[in-house]
Formats: sequence, structure tokens, C-alpha cells
Amino acid sequence: MPRLRKRRFKPADTARKVRKNMSITEQISTEQITEYASGNEMAAEAARQIGYDVMGYYPITPSTQIAENLDLMRAKGQTDLVMIAAEGEHSAAGVCYGASVGGGRVFNATSANGLMYALEQLPVQSGTRYPMVMNVACRTISGPLSIKGDHSDLMFMLNAGWLIFFAHSAQEVYDFNLMALKLAEQVRLPAAVAFDGFFTSHQKRRCRRFADDAYVRGYIGSRKEPFPFFDLEHPLTVGSYMNEPDLIQNRYELHLAMKDAEHALPALFSEYAALSGRTYGPVEGYYTKDAETILILLGSSFDTALEAVDRLRAQGKKAGVLTLHLLRPFPAETLLQACRTAKRLLVADRQDSYGAGGGNLSLEVRAALQRSVMTVSVKSRVYGLGGKDFFVEDALAMFAAADDPSAPDFDYYGVDKPQNESLACADTCGPLSKAPPYADTCRSEFFAPLTAERTRLGVTKVSEQDGRAVVQGGQLNATIKIPKRIAPGHGACPGCGIPVNFNLLLRAIEDPVILLFQTGCGMIVTTPYPKTSFKVPYLHNLFQNGAATLSGLAEMCYRKQQKGELPPGDLVFIMVSGDGGLDIGMGSAIGTALRGHRLLLFEYDNGGYMNTGYQLSYSTPMGAKSATSHVGKTQYGKSFFHKDMPRLMAATGMPYVATAAESDPADFIRKAAKAAWYAKTQGTAYLKALSACPLNWNDKPESERSVIAAAVDCCFFPLYEVERGITALSYDPAAKNKKIPVQDWLAMMGRTKHLVREEYRPVVDELQLEIDRRFLCLKQQSENPYL
Amino acid sequence: MTGSTKLPLTNDNGDYEIRLESIGGLGANLCGKMLGELGLRYLGLNSASFSSYGSEKTGTPVKAFIRYCDPKKEIRVHSPVISPHLLCIFHDALLADKDVLKGCTKDTVIVLNTSDAQDSAADRLQRLLTKTGICALYTLPAQQIAIETHSRINVVMLGAAAKASGFIPLTAAEEICSETLGRKYPDALAANLAGLRAGYESISRLQAPPDANHTYRHADGRAMAEEHAMAEKHAMAPMPIGGINPHFGSSVINDVSPSRQGYIPVFLQEKCINCGLCDSACPDMVFQFKEGTYRGREMMVNCGLDYYHCKGCLRCVAVCPTHALVKELEAEHPRKEWFLPNQELLRSPDYYEKAGADGYITSESYLTEKRMAGGEV
Repeated sequence: MPRLRKRRFKPADTARKVRKNMSITEQISTEQITEYASGNEMAAEAARQIGYDVMGYYPITPSTQIAENLDLMRAKGQTDLVMIAAEGEHSAAGVCYGASVGGGRVFNATSANGLMYALEQLPVQSGTRYPMVMNVACRTISGPLSIKGDHSDLMFMLNAGWLIFFAHSAQEVYDFNLMALKLAEQVRLPAAVAFDGFFTSHQKRRCRRFADDAYVRGYIGSRKEPFPFFDLEHPLTVGSYMNEPDLIQNRYELHLAMKDAEHALPALFSEYAALSGRTYGPVEGYYTKDAETILILLGSSFDTALEAVDRLRAQGKKAGVLTLHLLRPFPAETLLQACRTAKRLLVADRQDSYGAGGGNLSLEVRAALQRSVMTVSVKSRVYGLGGKDFFVEDALAMFAAADDPSAPDFDYYGVDKPQNESLACADTCGPLSKAPPYADTCRSEFFAPLTAERTRLGVTKVSEQDGRAVVQGGQLNATIKIPKRIAPGHGACPGCGIPVNFNLLLRAIEDPVILLFQTGCGMIVTTPYPKTSFKVPYLHNLFQNGAATLSGLAEMCYRKQQKGELPPGDLVFIMVSGDGGLDIGMGSAIGTALRGHRLLLFEYDNGGYMNTGYQLSYSTPMGAKSATSHVGKTQYGKSFFHKDMPRLMAATGMPYVATAAESDPADFIRKAAKAAWYAKTQGTAYLKALSACPLNWNDKPESERSVIAAAVDCCFFPLYEVERGITALSYDPAAKNKKIPVQDWLAMMGRTKHLVREEYRPVVDELQLEIDRRFLCLKQQSENPYL
Repeated sequence: MTGSTKLPLTNDNGDYEIRLESIGGLGANLCGKMLGELGLRYLGLNSASFSSYGSEKTGTPVKAFIRYCDPKKEIRVHSPVISPHLLCIFHDALLADKDVLKGCTKDTVIVLNTSDAQDSAADRLQRLLTKTGICALYTLPAQQIAIETHSRINVVMLGAAAKASGFIPLTAAEEICSETLGRKYPDALAANLAGLRAGYESISRLQAPPDANHTYRHADGRAMAEEHAMAEKHAMAPMPIGGINPHFGSSVINDVSPSRQGYIPVFLQEKCINCGLCDSACPDMVFQFKEGTYRGREMMVNCGLDYYHCKGCLRCVAVCPTHALVKELEAEHPRKEWFLPNQELLRSPDYYEKAGADGYITSESYLTEKRMAGGEV
């Protein structure tokens, strides 16, 4: 069996080599310059300077800015990095894997559920020994969903076979990005550079970086490919099927690579110190030399705790604080060395290994202590989850807990404890507000429940004729009578199209509805705890899985009805998705349609990942600017056509597919009623509405209905339905003398206004051609039931 | 960078702290970034800055935090600014939220954007602060200045903040503004610099009320710790299992009126034909229709607007075929004639809470670009 040649690392070697490399090209500047930048910006800057080949990515807060910044640099011609916006993190990790097997220098950045979704791919990368670097801007994982920072995502990576650096400052994000790649390529393992989401990823601070890209590249050295994949003379098989005893041998070698990395660290750090003047080690301590009480924590909290140590030292207390720069390999020896005078340790984790009596850092510190003769009291605390701020006072409280013999061994810090912990709050309803009088009321005091009697008013009726749905009634004024399923006071932007479309949909549906929202603006603005806008049963699930989850929910309802545990009667199950949710969740939606689950998939298409600050989605119009498709010297905006989702869904053979626009409310209501009827009685139905986003379309909120109308009139968003496989055009702008060039629509929005300029004429022409082609197809299909 | 500016005050950590209180859309995030960066680049200080984090939307509260310190020192704390030395309030509607003034001490200098027509806001602020006592209160009509100079409120406020701080020279603010906005859009720069200078020159100091000489607390660690402990107490409460929420429709107690940017739709019922287009275009369920008769026909009749939940997007004005809804300045309608709270409510809430969650900035590059282009962000 071919094996990778193992090279033992010789520290002096590399340092000499780098210096040698430097001296060959004397014009290379060793100078450093000061930046005022965030961790995300420094990560992007490091990536640009290194000159990566490929970045496979999918935007997720708070790591998104890394891809955004790199895209901006691309647009300005500052980097030729190939950036591939995959349709989800799983695919993004796949792109990275492929590119690294192909011999490229490869980069990725993610957070939270993005990391969870990519997780399956990570051991493949390490097990087949392809180096790359992934930045992890740490964020809490769902659910309940939160976008803020803690380390619950990263700790899932501990067993992935990746090197894991942890940076507690923007400066370290830069430095570790350089060192991580160097080490990764040396030991042939992928590396993660982790840092606090928001605290480090977003706070702007003084940082230093090398002025000259060539200097950085000289430090990294050239990429070595011991087994080039594209060497057709020597074809390789990568990723064998392996039985025992080979598999354990493979894993053993991975373990040895980690050992190699451990041995390589001193030279890695000393070499970098010589080049940059910044000295790092596997751990960083402050006043640990003679400290009796040491607080151990990761990330930005370390810096905050420094203030606490200064205050305690001023009082004559022997306090110290310590953090780790590496989680893998775990620097047990250095850690023990740094704690040798300590009598008390408190390890504070921004995550919990539930049931284990501490977060993973605290468990590993405890395990490391087993190897020493030290007798030291160790306490574990879980704090700061979901980005809960960490103040100097909190660090002081932790020191106090460490010194207090009566304080528990393991505890959460900064929570309210229930009177009887064993009840785990099962019976409480939770307060609606921080202040009385709304505390602890168990149901809404504001609205009467929306029972079937209150909504089945017969304003909109659907009947079956020749196997097809026919709608009667549904006049705009009359449907106002149907009570709204959401309450006002939600946090959508002024002029947002989501509630508009949602209400247009539901005013046509008189049966009780069960809602599932995939992650997105629609979900975030309606359900910030402890309030909710929904007046009907509502469930949230993640982007990739909404349709499948609703299938399960619907199935359970039918089963309960069958068993007589629920009264019979029609419910309409509706999944609502937008903000690109049918990019990452397309597989689940198509699977559901193919199974023919009786539910309605409603897509509010706002043409971008608006909930994370507008990155391109597959339905963003070609040429549109977004945070990941900037306009500049070398880019004109998004480079490919908008996805034709209704045709994709129609290809599943589902009984009803339609598009609707708020500019034609009567048509919208009719289609919504039909879709609900099909979802209730026949199988999966899909309804898509174009949804305005004034914030990111960059137009005036009051103009949105006319912008939507223009999208319809230029045929970018044709109105049609596919009922039992037969296409029917609902509106032909040309026939009504309303057809406008796509340019007129593009000119209405800030995100596409630039396309009107002469230099972008070819882009607009290409888009016009594609739109016309799609519309002609529709027309043909509309005229011929067999197409 | 020659020598470093002397900071007039610092807290226990050695930091001078600034907090910007704003609502999404006024550009406080960018203003905070400029203030932070100018500390490093033009004052010779070390500095750090960040905004309140959340998802991306206009009209919700946004805070930005800036810290300065001696260049030889590192800025260690990462937590929000609790007790600012300089507090800039970008919109007087924010005074309704008392958290906006959280942590003010006798050392706090406040800059408030308020128009002359609404000087009551300044009065109100002074009264609110009588208990704490503050160092100085400055006001300026930043919105008006922005309109007159074709600039944006954030640069006007940047100028005002520089002047009020007492140690940020106008030239430093101009430099950072040019550096941030200038390169790509030279036309916008001239206007923004004019707005910046006007902001610098237009602040006027309000005299302290005669009885303002009392109980305030020092910006020392103890006081901060106390406030912090109080905040902790409020933020935590037991939760039903799994975080489920039985309070259906409870967002109705949010009063979203701070999202409005000066305009409201005004209803002229005599012109209304009850077509219902307004209701179909309104994202916020503002229109209160009831069963009734119009021209002898039984139908749903528009009876008024729920201004608690109107964000002032004016979509309804744009779709109304008979001009029964018109765009008017809110200031000219202190009594809203057709104000009708949500009719589905079983009872009216005991109180309304001003516009909900923290506003939020998660990504910057695209928004910044839009701001520079003079977009409506």
C-alpha cells in the first residue's frame, strides 16, 4: 500500500530556508503597516496576501464578511482568488475538498450551523490528508436560533482530525492564518483558525500586517504536491474503501501527524516571532508565574479578564489568567507548566458538553492534570452563551468563585436558577415581558384563538371540476374579513414584502393553517423571544430541512386523526421559505414533492440572502450587486442567471406549481386558494412570490409594488401556473401592451441601477435574451398541454 | 501621527468611551467606525469600535461603541460601553427608551439631534438627566443640516461629536471622512464635508437647569458594577421547556413608531372607496376594516389606521387609487385623527414597548457601499 512519505520536522531548517528565500529577492519589504480592522477583515487580508487558489463558501453570520471582503478585493482586481458560492456549507466543504485534492491552496470560512452542516466533510479532508485552512467565527448553534457568539459550534470539531488554532484578537486572526497554513502544509492536515464571532470577528482594532504580499508568500513557501492528482502518467486513487486493519493504520498516521504538529510548534512560533516581532506560544498567560488562582478561558474574554487580574493584583491577590492558542493538538504540557504554581483553577467555557460536568475545555484541562503530580482544585463554569456579554465584573466574580471553597465544582454563570432545579421549568409559561403585568400568563391575553369557525367564512371557495381546482369569490375587499394569522409589531423593515406576501397567501386560505418557517428574515423578525407575531401553530427549522420537517409534522397529524386523538378536519400545512432557503433547502423540498406529501411550499423570493446582509442567492438577477458579487474593475455583479425554481419544482410532477405577485392581488389570492386546495387534498403544492426588500434592493419602500409590477411586465418574473402538468400563462404583458425591457426594471433598484450604463450593455442583453427565451418556452407550453 | 492627543478623561481601565444611540438607516455604524479609526490614525491614540449586533434591518435601534486609550496600552475589554464619556443620540424619538441614557454620569457629554420645532425633546432630556447630572448637553438639528447640505446625518453627527468631545480637531474628522467616503464618490464627498463642518459648528450648549446640582454617581467601577448587576437581574427569567412561546400574537405590544422617518400616511376618509389595496400592500396590518356599508353595499369599510404599528413605509399612499391616503409630516399631525388601535385585540395592552429588538449589523461591505453612493440605507 502506498504511504505518504513522513518528514520529520527540523526547526532550524525552515527558519534558515525562509531567511534564504527572503535574501534572494532583496526588494521584498519586511515592513509592517498598521490597519484598523476587524478579525474578519484581517482573515480576508491574510487570505489575499497568501494568494489562495480557491475559496468554496456559503455565507453565514458572523463569518460572512470574510467572503464579502474577498469578493470586494476581487472586484477591485486585488486578488484572483476563485470564489465559489456553493448552495450550502456541505457543498462548500465539498468544493474545498475537491480543490485541495486538485493541488490548490484552499480557503473557507464558516460559523455555527454552517460548520455543523459541513461537519461530515471535515474528517474526509483530514483522513485523506489534504491541507487547507478554514476560519471559524464561532457562533452558537441552533436551536433555538441565535446569531451571536459562543463556542458550541467549534467544539464539535475537536474529533475531526483538524489542527485548531484559537485567536483571541484580530491581530492573532491574521498571524494564525499565516501560521496555520504553514503548519497544515508541513504536516499535511487541514487547519481551522477559530475566533469569537462578533467580539473578535466584528470589533475593529489596531492591527499590524506585513506590507508586502511577497514577504508573506516567501514565508509560506511554495505548495508541495507529493502525489499530484492530475499527473496522468501516474494515476491515483484517492479515497479507497478500507477494511481493518488498514483503517486503523490510516487513523494512526493521522494521530502521528498531530504529534508532528505538536513537535513543530516551537519552531513555528519562534520563526514567526523572528519575522513579525510578535511572540506566541501554544498558551498565553498573564501573571501566571506566581499565580495561586488562575482563570482559564478562550477568546476575547481573556483580554477582558486581564483587567480583572490587574485589579486583583493591586489588592495583593495572586491572580492570573490563561488562554490557549491551540486546541488541536492540545498543548497539555505547556498548559501544566504555566499552571505549576496554581492552587486553584477555574475553567470557563462558552459552551457545555451537556451532562459531562463542564464545557470541553474544562474537561480537557482536567484530563491534562491527570498527567501531573499537581494537586489543584479545578472548577468549571459555563458562561456567555449566545454572545452574552462578558464584563470585567464577571471575571472578578469567577475569581471569587475559584477562591470560595463552598462554590460548586461545576455551575452555570449568569443564569436565573429555578426554585426547584429538578423541575427544569417544565411547567412555567415564561414571562412575556421583563416587567409586570405580563409575566407568567399562560396564553395570549390579546387575541382570541383563530378557530376554524373564525376563518371559514366562505369568502373564497374552491371546488373540483374535472380533477382541477376552481376558485370562486376571493375579492380583495371581501377577503379582508379573514383574520390575519400574524399580529402586527413584528420587526420587519418598513416596506418589507414578506408580511405582504404572507398575508396575501393566507387571506385566501380559510382552513386552519399550520406553519413552518425555514430560517430567514421572515422567521427572525416575527419570533424574537419572548414575543411572537404568530397567532397560529408555528415551527421553525433550519434552512436545509423545512420541507422534510413539515412532512413529519403533517404525517403525525394524520396519524393522530386516524387514531381518533385529533378531530378529523382539514388543516393546511405550509412551509414558508425565502432568503435563499430554497437554495440550501432545495433537496429537501424536491424530496418532499417527489414523495407527494400533502403540504404547501411557499417561497417568498427576495432575491438574496437578505437575513445575513444580502449575499447573492441563486435567484439574484444576473448583474445585481450584492455583498458577495460586488461591482468593480473585474466584476459586474452576479455572474450567472437566476434560478428557475418553479420549473425545477414542476419537473417533480407535483400537482400544482404557480407564481404570484403582489402587483396582481386578485391573481395571487386565486392561486393561493388553489395551492392550498391541492396541498390539502392532492399532494405537494408550490407557490412562489417575488418579495420586495427595500433595504437590499436599495429602492424606496413605497415604490415596491411598482417595482414588482415592472419585474412581471419585463417577464423577469412571469405569472403562470402548472396544474396537473399543464402550463397556463396567467398574464402576457406583450398582449396587454405592457411589455417593458428588462433594463427599465433594473433601473428601478439601487442594486441593479449600474447595469443601465453602456459598459454593461452586454450583460443586460444576455439577461434579456434569457428572460425572453424562458418566456417563449412558457408561451409554447401554455399553448400546448403536452409540452 | 505626531505625538498622541491627551484624553480629557478615562475610566478605571484607562479608556475614554463613546456610545452612539441611533436607529437603523441613519448610518451610526459607519459614524462609529470613522470615530474609531480617526482615533488611531489622526489622534495618535489606540482605539477600538463596534456596533450592536443583530440582523440587518432599517428602523430598529442601533448602538455603536468607541474606545480610545493611550497608544502604548492595549484595549482589553470587549463588552459594550455602559458608562460613556460622550453619548451621541441620533434621533430624539430614542429618548422614549430610558436605556438610551443608561450609565450617564456627571462626566458624560451628550449630543442630541433634535429639530428646533421639537425643542421639547431637549427639555425632556434635561429633565431626565436632572437626577444624574451631566457634564454638558449639546443639541443640533442634524436632520435639517443633512438635508440642507445634501449630506447624511452620520457625518453631521460626526462633526458634532468631534466638537463636543473637546479634543477631536475638525481636521481629523475631515481627514477620516475623506478617507472613508472620498475616493470613490468625489461629488458626495464635498457635500458630506459640508455637512460635517456644519455639524461641527452648529452644536449649541444648553444651560444646565437651575437645580441640576445633585445626586449623581461617579463613573467608577462600583457604580458600573451596580448598574451591570441590575441589568443582569432584568435580563434573566425562567423559560418554558425548550423555549416554546405560548404568548401568541404578543408582538402586538411592540410600538414600532420609532421606525418612522418623519412621515406618516394621513387618511382622508371621504375619498376612500374601500378597495382594500392599502390593506393588501401594508406589511404591518395597520388598516382597520370593519363590516359596514359603502354606497349602499355591504362590505368591509376602512375605519382608520393603527399608528402604533405603522412604520411609515408609505406603501399604502403609493397604491391608493383615490388619494385617500396621503404622505404628510408627522410633526404636523400631533393628533392623528384616524388613529384606531388594532381591532382584533381582546383588550388594549397595558402598555406598548417601543420598537423591539436590537437593530443589527452583521455585514458591512455592501451597506457601506450603498451609503457612500448616497443610497437610502
